[in-house]
Amino acid sequence: MIPACPLAALPRGEAYRLDVEPPIALFHTEDGEIYAIDDTCTHQDASLADGWLEGCEVECPLHASRFDLRTGRVDAPPAKLPVRTHRVVVEDGTVYVVPSEEPPNLPPGIRAGTA
Amino acid sequence: MSTRSLPPSVISTLPGGYYTDEGVFASEQARIFESMWFCVVRSSDLGKPGAFRTVQVGRESVLVTRARNGSIRAFLNVCRHRGARICTEESGEVKRAFQCPYHAWTYDLEGKLIAAPNLTKMPDIDRVEFGLVNVHVREWLGYVWVCLADEPPSFEADVTGEVVTRLGDGDLIKNYDIENLEVGRRIVYDVKANWKLIIENFMECYHCATIHPELTEVLPEFADGYAAQSFVGHGAEFGEEIQGFTVDGSEGVDRIQGVSEDQDRRYYAITIKPQVFINLVPDHVIIHRMFPLAADRTIVECDWLFRKDVVEGGKDLGPSVELFHRVNVQDFDACERCQPAMNSRAYAGGGVLVPSEHHIGAFHDWVLEKLG
Repeated sequence: MIPACPLAALPRGEAYRLDVEPPIALFHTEDGEIYAIDDTCTHQDASLADGWLEGCEVECPLHASRFDLRTGRVDAPPAKLPVRTHRVVVEDGTVYVVPSEEPPNLPPGIRAGTA
Repeated sequence: MSTRSLPPSVISTLPGGYYTDEGVFASEQARIFESMWFCVVRSSDLGKPGAFRTVQVGRESVLVTRARNGSIRAFLNVCRHRGARICTEESGEVKRAFQCPYHAWTYDLEGKLIAAPNLTKMPDIDRVEFGLVNVHVREWLGYVWVCLADEPPSFEADVTGEVVTRLGDGDLIKNYDIENLEVGRRIVYDVKANWKLIIENFMECYHCATIHPELTEVLPEFADGYAAQSFVGHGAEFGEEIQGFTVDGSEGVDRIQGVSEDQDRRYYAITIKPQVFINLVPDHVIIHRMFPLAADRTIVECDWLFRKDVVEGGKDLGPSVELFHRVNVQDFDACERCQPAMNSRAYAGGGVLVPSEHHIGAFHDWVLEKLG
């Protein structure tokens, strides 16, 4: 379990990018839920924490593929593969993440180490 | 300038080359259009956040939009990455951000860089510093004015001051409540003439009796050739039989509430250098914005503004719009008739201004001073 940020640093409607390898994005939805997914879009190296949070989905800021924060699934191309989801624990005002042990679906440039 | 000797009745215009020379036009772009306040769009054209328009100001394409907080923003329409034009459409609406179509650098409605491929691998890229280049913005009379200069000149001296100079009082224009009027009609004219010919034409009325029969019918004093702009505070009076500022002198629409008895049945014209004309009549306001694109080409956007209830009530604006539309076409035809001759040997030293046009000499002096 990794400490990510104080709960106070993640108001509703906002995102927080956790600089681990690979990076993780935390989202606090308007409904008050907190979700964690891989921060990097599976299509091209873009930060989903910079994207647009709407309900339980985040839209990639570059090419508009949308990822479901609950399942990691993507709705439409250009991204084709899902992002991983990570378990979130909030304890004593701190947000923690339990990173998934699945292999990540990083975009081609990142996998090849050229980005 | 020409050193030819002229009889005392006339003074010289600018030499013909000032209307055709690319070097002169480039100087005007830099020293006039990119240095002064420039009226670009009606605020209501940007109805909600993300609505945008692109306009040409001097040599620059400028992107004007409304940000999330409702304020108007304007940027140079150039991606900070490799220089691609961000928006190529004249108008449109983005949902949340402007995105360069080349490498997808993405900017929020305030111009800040918010996303780009591999951006998180470049933490030293400051997102404001690499945001779109902001230009200065003011709103006045319901229009957005921009200034591309680093240090803009005084808006009060250069813009609102021109109205005071012309009307003799800065409050008189407030009676027309221009910012709350609604665009009843907009016509865009593509005029194959130098912008200065259009200004000079607007400043004088020596031509009125010849090319503006309908206007001269409504404003008989225009037949004398002395423009409404010659005398401070003077508004040309409607003819006795005239009921309204319409193409046939028929009754217009409901008068703007604040217009005073002194202003009723009169026409006032104001030139705000370098590219705006304001025309005030009791029941509507006509505003021209010029966009000089080349030495021999100027786009003119003309708005006819009426009371909101008049526009929403579906009243027939046709006779009101038709009068000044005809005036515009008559004027722009005349300017297009002059433009090809600006290169003629016959006009190399320029033409002359008769006494009722002598005030145009002050405009020429102003241009020459700006060009240094």
